[in-house]
Amino acid sequence: MRKIENVICPVCGSLCDDITVYVEDNRVVEVENTCAVGRAKFLNYGLHRKPKPLIRKNGELKEASIEEAVRRSAEILTESKYPILYGWSSTSCEAIRVGLELAEEVGGIIDNTSTVCHGPSILSIQDVGIPSCTLGQLRHRADLVIYWGSDPYSAHPRHIERYTVFSEGRFQKSGWRSFIRRLSGKLVKKRLSRVAELILRRKLTFPEEKYALPPYFISEEERKLVVVDVRKTRTAEVADYFLQVKPNTDYEVLQALRMLVNDQDLEVDEVAGIPVRTLEDLADLMISCDFGILFFGVGLTMSKGKLRNVDAALSLVRDLNKRTKFLIMPMRGHYNVTGANVVFTWQTGYPYAVDFSLGYPRYNPGETSVVDILRRGECDAGLVVASDPVSNFPASAAKTLVDNPLIVIDPDVTPTSMMADVVFPSAYIGIEAEGTAYRMDHVPLRLKKVVEPPPNCLPDQEILARILREVRRIRRG
Amino acid sequence: MALLIRNGYVYDPMNGIDGEKMDILVEGGKIVDKLKSAEYEVIDASGMIVMPGGVDIHSHIAGSEVNAGRLLRPEDHAKDVELKTEITRSGVGYSVPSTFTTGYRYAKMGYTTVMNPSMPPLEAKHTHEELCDTPIIDKATYPLLGDWWFVLEYLRDGKIEECALHVAWMLYATKGYAIKLVNPGGLEAWGFGRNVRDIDDPVPYFNVTPREIIRGLCKVNKLLHLPHTIHVHTNNLGKPGNYETTLQTMKCVEDLSSGDKPCIHITHCQFSAFKGVDWREFYSGAEDIAKYVNFHKHVTIDMGQVIFTDTTTMTADGPFQYILHELTGNKWVNHDVETETSSGIVPFRYRRRSYVHSIQWCIGLELALLIRDPWRIFLTTDHPNAGPFTSYPQVIGWLISRKAREETLSKLNKRARETALLPSIDREYSLYEVAIATRAGQARALGLKDKGHLGVGGDADIAIYDVDPRKIDPSTQYDEYVKAFSKAAYTIKEGEIVVRNGEVVKVLDGKTYWVKVSSNSEYEVSEDMKRRFTEYWTVQFDNYPVSEAYLKRSKPVQVESEV
Amino acid sequence: MGILISPKRLFDVPVHARCITPDTFSTLSLSEILNLEVHEGNRKRKLKELFEVSTGPYTSPEGFTIWMKGDFSKVRYIGYGMSTGKIVLEGVAGMHLGEEMKGGFIQVYGDAGSWVGSMMQGGRIEVFGDVGDYTGAAYRGSGRGMRGGEIIVHGNALNETGCYMRGGLIKVYGSVGQFTGMHMHGGTIMVGGETEGRDGAEMTKGKIVILGRVPSLLPTFKIEAIKPRVKVGEERVEGPFYMFTGDLAENGEGKLYVSKNNNPHLKEFEKYLSPVKVK
Repeated sequence: MRKIENVICPVCGSLCDDITVYVEDNRVVEVENTCAVGRAKFLNYGLHRKPKPLIRKNGELKEASIEEAVRRSAEILTESKYPILYGWSSTSCEAIRVGLELAEEVGGIIDNTSTVCHGPSILSIQDVGIPSCTLGQLRHRADLVIYWGSDPYSAHPRHIERYTVFSEGRFQKSGWRSFIRRLSGKLVKKRLSRVAELILRRKLTFPEEKYALPPYFISEEERKLVVVDVRKTRTAEVADYFLQVKPNTDYEVLQALRMLVNDQDLEVDEVAGIPVRTLEDLADLMISCDFGILFFGVGLTMSKGKLRNVDAALSLVRDLNKRTKFLIMPMRGHYNVTGANVVFTWQTGYPYAVDFSLGYPRYNPGETSVVDILRRGECDAGLVVASDPVSNFPASAAKTLVDNPLIVIDPDVTPTSMMADVVFPSAYIGIEAEGTAYRMDHVPLRLKKVVEPPPNCLPDQEILARILREVRRIRRG
Repeated sequence: MALLIRNGYVYDPMNGIDGEKMDILVEGGKIVDKLKSAEYEVIDASGMIVMPGGVDIHSHIAGSEVNAGRLLRPEDHAKDVELKTEITRSGVGYSVPSTFTTGYRYAKMGYTTVMNPSMPPLEAKHTHEELCDTPIIDKATYPLLGDWWFVLEYLRDGKIEECALHVAWMLYATKGYAIKLVNPGGLEAWGFGRNVRDIDDPVPYFNVTPREIIRGLCKVNKLLHLPHTIHVHTNNLGKPGNYETTLQTMKCVEDLSSGDKPCIHITHCQFSAFKGVDWREFYSGAEDIAKYVNFHKHVTIDMGQVIFTDTTTMTADGPFQYILHELTGNKWVNHDVETETSSGIVPFRYRRRSYVHSIQWCIGLELALLIRDPWRIFLTTDHPNAGPFTSYPQVIGWLISRKAREETLSKLNKRARETALLPSIDREYSLYEVAIATRAGQARALGLKDKGHLGVGGDADIAIYDVDPRKIDPSTQYDEYVKAFSKAAYTIKEGEIVVRNGEVVKVLDGKTYWVKVSSNSEYEVSEDMKRRFTEYWTVQFDNYPVSEAYLKRSKPVQVESEV
Repeated sequence: MGILISPKRLFDVPVHARCITPDTFSTLSLSEILNLEVHEGNRKRKLKELFEVSTGPYTSPEGFTIWMKGDFSKVRYIGYGMSTGKIVLEGVAGMHLGEEMKGGFIQVYGDAGSWVGSMMQGGRIEVFGDVGDYTGAAYRGSGRGMRGGEIIVHGNALNETGCYMRGGLIKVYGSVGQFTGMHMHGGTIMVGGETEGRDGAEMTKGKIVILGRVPSLLPTFKIEAIKPRVKVGEERVEGPFYMFTGDLAENGEGKLYVSKNNNPHLKEFEKYLSPVKVK
């Protein structure tokens, strides 16, 4: 059994790099330090993978050689007047670089999955900017952590322990002590009321104060965790304070907070159902911290108002810097969606939704973003890398995708790959192949290869490079 | 392919050649005295200027902050696009061009070596990935080490040798070339939204002053025998009255120089030469700086010349960028990097009618014209902070022609025109001096032995500009020179013609230079270091270094250190 | 003199035709016009390959006239940067109609796509059908939206009408989506119908007049007065209107006029008016 240390987990944007992997007979048999999601990926990857590329002939997917599949893919792409190349957030930066070159060569539209998650955040960053940092900065300094519309406990399970409230920093200690105190406080309260109920022989009900900030008996030195969401998430349960907002009212709440932070009075008594007193308390908490951080998730970017919710959040944090140090960071989902934005940007100037059809990069989400193009039925061929748009896209968009010739490069069998015309089963980046990925805070890390891929499963980068060579061969005669 | 460059007017200051008509021979990517092969291509350079390929000591072309600048500014790109051709990739400009476009545009101006001056060590892989996608030019990058916790702690404890060993390791781990300091101490303070006031203001929680950091790293630089000096972006940059800080910064290492060898480089000095108390009472401090530099050989500086255009400012100086944001109200990106550094980005427009911007424009040129020794003042615009690098030919125009300066001066803010010293300066750079300020001097300051000259054995990086110095007077017909320097007639990189008539005709990959320090005491990573590493950073020690695989063409420069 | 132009077929991929402007056409002969370059997806085409083009005696007071008939819904950048003349389009116009327009007149008897008149500086666009998002807006990342001229929409508009607008006039007689006048710095927007809310978000200057119903107001707007009427361009519109200022989160001084009669639910704001102002 081989032990490999400091392996990077290719699942979410936290990109934990302290994983230990045990390998036996070219198979991962045990992992340490991962969360449940990471563990599941390392131990169960590739169970349903096809052994060879597939090409659709007479309506059925048939096994084919890599060369045949490459040739068919190149034909599809060169014949197309407006192909889309989509995915890119679960593959390596090296593959994305080739992908961009391919998109440019065939005059296509290349877009990554941020188009359906943090694309709106990027549009707002382009309007107002973003004060941010790397995650270690928070570990050392943040004494107020806010998660807004994101639930790291479920989506980025080790985020809180590694980077924020429960991590030990140079200037800030872990907040687990206050958490334990709060937990035992709750237990004591429960026991006392139980005793009281036994004595009084009736059920006691305590009115729950929905919006007031809890009285702080925790010490000033410890970090505080605040969660804002439309429902009580698992993260909210460990939080010092949870503020529940009505769905689709984030924009109003954020704008109201901005006014309070700028020392202006609100005329109204409540904002979207939340008493202004409560917002004032929250604003005070934000102003009085030494170093605050606001994480926001898809709850903000994909609810009503979309990019403008993020606009307000970014502006709020920017305004707070007049009073204290406050930063903000999007909670990125896929392990390399940040990398996709980064590589797109250095090669083309734009982070996603890049249209090469005029021979140079053009960018205008809404016009050049893949979902919109598909919904308008404008594309005539597609290449999907490591993504499953058929399951995630609106039905009308998915229909255009599968009605036209479609190439899929993916280690997994997905609804998209089953509807495709050419399928390349590829190697798992970070398990069967090396590559670079960017953490949600833009820190690049080298993903490791811990086992060998099956013989006909090449890394994405290699498959794309072969298609590109074939496209060039066809074009230049 | 061997080359014979015939009959050009050659400017090669390192070899003392000043516009002599002569032939240059190239074979095997080097300058030679005799061609071995019988087959060679002849370039008729008669009536043209032949210079070594341009060298840029300070230009933000790659890495996380540059890329954040790109992301921030779609409106900057949409107005300046580059089409894909059979050999070149497409891209966008303007102030923060995409990587391919950066490489092509430098080559089109006859530049062949560019230094990327600020790299957060934690994100070094990113910088190198981008440099790999920056074609044609040779490059190197400086890691930001002035606010690194290890450095602060060692210097606080006076452990210079340990510090030197760690810096050597860092240069290896990040594949870096020189020690970069940005607002030393100030960036650590910015972690809590603060700054340091001057070079004797201690860094919060670390009990070490900027003076100690600058001196300490200067000593480290000497111990390690690094090819370049420490590369310093001063404290208080961009604040009125900061020329005093700059003078103090230069003075504080005066005793550390040996002989005539420089030991400190003050970069984009224009931004550090402000006199006055606020933006209304704002004057040029160029004269004081120039006076000091003229009498002290241990300093080199570069201009950071302001161009009147819409550009994107980006530095590792987080607090300065925040001030800029407050001043302009423009969109602002901040990116603090744990235990190491910070950075900020703000779009900015330099306007002729602004008094401050006009004075800033004067300061850059005053520095270049008042400092007598062209070997110690280099042409830069601190791309893209004071203007995009594509404006270098325009700056050359201002340097070689008083008329060009007057032309621009006449459109400046009236008060600036009346108070500035610049209008009274007559000096005009000769082409020989231009060659020093744009290549020879920069190559020497960087310790790049094969660059910046056309002597036998040097790299065959050559720029040929189609303008006849015997027929066209630089002083009056500066336009012709600006045009010629914008579009090189030929750019030759490692003996290959890469640009012809201002168009890229061949694309090749440039080398990445980095310093490999070999030390007496073989540097070992102790368990203590690893433990502190895990405490300080959120990545594991093993995952931190940049492997050589990230460099498309790795060019380590070996140095023997004293430790 | 003028040009008649209609598509030869239905396009399935976007067609980029920045050349369809009176400025370009008026200086060229018919054969030169026929050979102008357009893009169909990633293929370069000549204008004549995609469109029937003929000359005709079309005139208008604005000068050279292009008469367009048919479905141009995939054709982008019609009238890009035009400064003179007239385009009459009977059918549907694609995205970026009249982008960066400086003068002249575009009339569309049908719908138009998003980004109608974005970054426009002068001239006039009139659309008799509906338009998409970002009417009169700025390009991504830019703070310079429409600066002058007039956009008149007789149908409905979608979100972010007048985003980053700095001058000029937009009139939408139908209803609009969310965020009308987002980040607005100047100019006037009038909405005849109802809105989906968040009107005037983050505006700093300028004027928005809403005649129909608004679901609610942003908490960052403050009521100032009740006005009997308000001026929109040259025209006086009868109210009464609640007049709000904002967006206070941006220290804005924008004016937002909302019809009093169509918004009885806003009556609660009247209590914040000082008694003098109510009169």
